[in-house]
Amino acid sequence: MGDYAVVAKGVAKSFGKLKVLTDLSLLIPKGSTYCLLGPNGSGKTTFIRAIVGLLRLDGGELYVLGQPVAKVSEVYSRIGYMTQHKALYPDLTLQENMEFYAALYGVEGKKRSDKISELLGWVDLDEHRNRLAGNLSGGMYQRLSLACTLIHEPDLLLLDEPTVGVDPKLRQAFWEYFNLLNAKGVTILITTHLMDEAEQCKVVAYMRGGKMRAEGSPEEIKRIAGLRPLLKLWAKDPELAASRLGTGGFDVRLIGERELQINLDDHSQIKDVLELVKPIDLRLVEPSLGDAFLKLAEAQDA
Amino acid sequence: MNQFNIRRIYAVALRVVRQLKRDRRTIGLITFLPIFLMVLFGYALSGEMSGINLGLVESGGHNSQMSYLEGVKDFNLIHLGSESDAEKQILDGKLKGAVIDLPGEIRVLLDASTPQIANAIMAYVNAGMGGDEQHKSGVRVGSAVDDGLAKKTTKGPRIAQRYIYGYDLQTMDSVGPAVVGLVVFFFTFILAAISFLRERTQGTLEKFMVSPMNNLEMVSGYLVGFSLFAFVQSATTLLVVVFLFGVPMQGNPLIAFLTILLIGVVATVLGAFFSNFAKTEFQVVQFIPLVILPQVVLTGVWWPLESIPEFIRPISYLLPLTYSNDALRMLMLKGASIVDILYPDLVALGLFFLLVFAATINMIKRKVD
Repeated sequence: MGDYAVVAKGVAKSFGKLKVLTDLSLLIPKGSTYCLLGPNGSGKTTFIRAIVGLLRLDGGELYVLGQPVAKVSEVYSRIGYMTQHKALYPDLTLQENMEFYAALYGVEGKKRSDKISELLGWVDLDEHRNRLAGNLSGGMYQRLSLACTLIHEPDLLLLDEPTVGVDPKLRQAFWEYFNLLNAKGVTILITTHLMDEAEQCKVVAYMRGGKMRAEGSPEEIKRIAGLRPLLKLWAKDPELAASRLGTGGFDVRLIGERELQINLDDHSQIKDVLELVKPIDLRLVEPSLGDAFLKLAEAQDA
Repeated sequence: MNQFNIRRIYAVALRVVRQLKRDRRTIGLITFLPIFLMVLFGYALSGEMSGINLGLVESGGHNSQMSYLEGVKDFNLIHLGSESDAEKQILDGKLKGAVIDLPGEIRVLLDASTPQIANAIMAYVNAGMGGDEQHKSGVRVGSAVDDGLAKKTTKGPRIAQRYIYGYDLQTMDSVGPAVVGLVVFFFTFILAAISFLRERTQGTLEKFMVSPMNNLEMVSGYLVGFSLFAFVQSATTLLVVVFLFGVPMQGNPLIAFLTILLIGVVATVLGAFFSNFAKTEFQVVQFIPLVILPQVVLTGVWWPLESIPEFIRPISYLLPLTYSNDALRMLMLKGASIVDILYPDLVALGLFFLLVFAATINMIKRKVD
């Protein structure tokens, strides 16, 4: 228990007849970046709300920062929770919004002003601090919401789709900051639809129909889905190369006149391939996490 | 849960005030609309009237009032033969009232369904007695009735009034204090309900739930913030009724003010409570007929509780304005002290507040699920 920020065992929750979470189990190691991926309605948000004690569970066990979820309020001061609602006051300035959240968490005095400046600087909104939050663009609003969530330096950060409406450049900045927080030991649980974001996480959990369908590092998920790296290779004599590789035990196909495609089990096989043939050119195509999830979804539907 | 933290309450209160402060229209609503409404009510209650059909019956009194009334241009005077004739015509709606000149007595018959006019007639009759010149050109009932009905008949005939249609109406002065409570209640309720609703729709409520702040602190913070708002309103409305419309302030103005503030506080928690049943601001508006209107009708703002049918009256006793109306009337008109209004009025308001306050805090807890 001590090594995990969140422990879920067989968690179940339904709203009326609708079963949103069914027998969900997962472990989120302290200091990790854990990504919940899944289609709309797969139960990601419900699970986050369960973690913060906003839902009464129908069954299962859930521990948050060492506390059973019934007592999660005792660790609220260590949790940063960013909902899909932006949870800001449009009729307050940026500064006032941040001051308000700081006060809720008892962040006061110089620490408060320093922290506000630091966070506003990081989300690139410092020059707007006296503007009304309601006048911000969607992406700016999102950034302010994130800054407010971080005001009390939480140990566990729960981010429900934090990068919606944020442009790619800033999204990258978000992730750099998340990594920085991560390096300081902050545990981050994030939900997203975006595969490139999921790729940045140490652990990705694929949820569907309220259940955990696959969990692991992005590489592991791809393997579970049966997706492997693909080596594309061009040789002077493709047919000879194909037969050599075939006898060497490789899964090889000749595409068109000259292109060979080899499905690799792992990257270490590249060396073996190069011992057998001398290519004119080659290219490694990594399977995407998106492909993996599509394949997993297809397999489960079938 | 964490212990009760004053700083967090202050943070919420400060935020509420900052938000209200920035909302220009709401500031207008807080300060000017009550004034506007009070002025409207004030003139509706005390406005000058003309073209009033008044019957005169000479029954051998030869009192000087009769000739005074003859000189008032607001009346269409109709001379009648007998009191019963006059009564019949009032019942038929042909007359608004009649003055019967008896030896040693002026008997005034009044149409109880139009209290403003009834009061105007009374005011003239009284004015005719004292020769008070200010009444000659149109009467402001709000202030005139005060010295009229609580009359000081040192000399001249006795003035007796009789309402046709059942019950005796209270003077219009009594509406003033009640309207102050009503206005403050109305605006505070609506604003508090919408503010609370927004917490939920903006998602800020959910963030509160996951912060060290507990519901008690949050609702308390709201109360403090909105009390300031009710403070401004109470002050403006009270000043308007007293100074513009001459509603008497016999008791301690500070206690009257605090009583109004108390009704504002009750309205705040009630707004917070009812916001749990609304999903949109439009739905908050739908509470007006549900929450406000019964209080307009059933709490004795316009007519006494005694005139409300007995089977409905238990509802009146469940409505907070019933108690504030009574308390304010006692304070302003009868010069009651705080001890006089403590029970049942202040106690009832206090209990009402505590009950709704507790219900609201519990409600927030459950509503999130």
